[in-house]
Amino acid sequence: MMTEKKELYLGYSSDKAVTPFFQEFLEFLDQEKLMKSVCTQCGTEFLPPREHCQKCLSLCELKEFTEREAKLRSYVVVDFAPESLASKAPYVVAIGEFPSGLRLTAHITNLMSVPEVGMALKLAFDHIDEKKLTYKFLV
Amino acid sequence: MARKVAVVAAGHSKFGKRYDATMRELCAEAYKPIYDAGVTQDKIDATVLSYAASQFTGQGAGSALMADYLGLQNKPHLRVESACTTGTASLRAAWGMVAAGLYDVMLVLGVEQMNRVSSAVATEYMSMAGDMRWEYPYGISFPAFYALMASRYMHKYDMPHEVLSRISVKSHHYGAQNPKAHLPREVTLEEANNAVPICRPLNLYDCSLITDGAAGVIIAAEKRVKEFTDQPMWIKGIGAGASAMMIQDRESLTSIPGAKRAAKAAYDMAGVGPKDLDMVQVHDCFSIAELIAYEDLGLAEPGKGRELIENKEVYHDGRIPVNCDGGLKSKGHPLGATGLSMTYEILKQMRGEAENQSRQIDDVKIGLAHNVGQSGQFVNVFIFERGW
Repeated sequence: MMTEKKELYLGYSSDKAVTPFFQEFLEFLDQEKLMKSVCTQCGTEFLPPREHCQKCLSLCELKEFTEREAKLRSYVVVDFAPESLASKAPYVVAIGEFPSGLRLTAHITNLMSVPEVGMALKLAFDHIDEKKLTYKFLV
Repeated sequence: MARKVAVVAAGHSKFGKRYDATMRELCAEAYKPIYDAGVTQDKIDATVLSYAASQFTGQGAGSALMADYLGLQNKPHLRVESACTTGTASLRAAWGMVAAGLYDVMLVLGVEQMNRVSSAVATEYMSMAGDMRWEYPYGISFPAFYALMASRYMHKYDMPHEVLSRISVKSHHYGAQNPKAHLPREVTLEEANNAVPICRPLNLYDCSLITDGAAGVIIAAEKRVKEFTDQPMWIKGIGAGASAMMIQDRESLTSIPGAKRAAKAAYDMAGVGPKDLDMVQVHDCFSIAELIAYEDLGLAEPGKGRELIENKEVYHDGRIPVNCDGGLKSKGHPLGATGLSMTYEILKQMRGEAENQSRQIDDVKIGLAHNVGQSGQFVNVFIFERGW
């Protein structure tokens, strides 16, 4: 029996290009689990995940990414936003780097002042609304 | 063995908010001076249209429209697209066809009309050149990508924003002297440094313009060059590079890795180095991009690019003049036209034809064009040599 697929989106997107692999990622995110992908052949890890390995093009599988502490590699405070996010501006986009070297791009949502490169970040999760999920950084 | 290829003629429309024209008329404006110089339709074998983003106008099959409007409807044509580097990607494609002997004479024409939509919608379209799955959902606009580079650069080299503003002041100084420029007016250092923020640390004057315009060049195989001019500009070196799609995956945020690779390839092919250059056109879509370009092209050591602008070495009478036409910042950045506008400017400077002696660079023998797509996913570097 087919179970009905929950309609989920990443961040502020309404992109309908949700593949089965990405749908699985979103369903884990709905449970506040961030998934990386690991190549089934060569073991290379990717964050965010990709279905095919960049090195050998073999299929990857999702595995939970458990690191929670990152450092701010760089940031931007977006004052003039693309039309779809205009109501959210200003917002802060960060590249966080984890101790493993894996990186993630997400918003920092609890800043009271302009961030500083190198500052500590914590990975967190959020339901923007019923369908939109996100990972994010907190300071 | 590849045939030698030269740029033999060039044309340029007025850049700006061109509500008076569609891409048809803009293409005609750029081609007309070429036609007047004697390169009539019957002498052109084929055309490449450089047209980056059809979503701004909704016009599909742009190369067919352009060819038809210019009276080239019976000549082969095709369109090339690679974001902001579409102009030099088109030139690279055409060079390959002429060098290989497929055609002798080609028109490479770049056009973009970006002001048919609001700035917010234009910003939306350009953000779609980021990764649609992982970057776009977080509202990373085109300036935001470069602001990520600026934050890292300013932190790494402890550089104040004022250095970036000095680049904007230079751009507007030269744009004010360029009749083709979109925003031809001077700005003060204070204005540039204190402008409204767009994507902090970048402000309004750190950002290039959303521009309508066209530019084009004619390239010809060596055996045909003399039919058109006794002042050809040889294509001496071509380098292309690429960088990771997602900016988080780049090995550096204080350099564009693909630009360094493209520069090395172009220098190697041309048999010249940074010290041999008499002028440079860099892709200053943002002030930080110009600063990083100084370093990626080997004009300055990493972290030392600021010295070139602070010491005015990149002014028209300095050691290595950069963007003495106003650059993307003041002249404007109609995506598909930009790389060809750079080529047009180098030919103009070599021929001593700058409209104003206060922006004419003295005795240009070798010029370089550095054209970057999106945030560095594509880069083309061309080295041109005066042929007389």
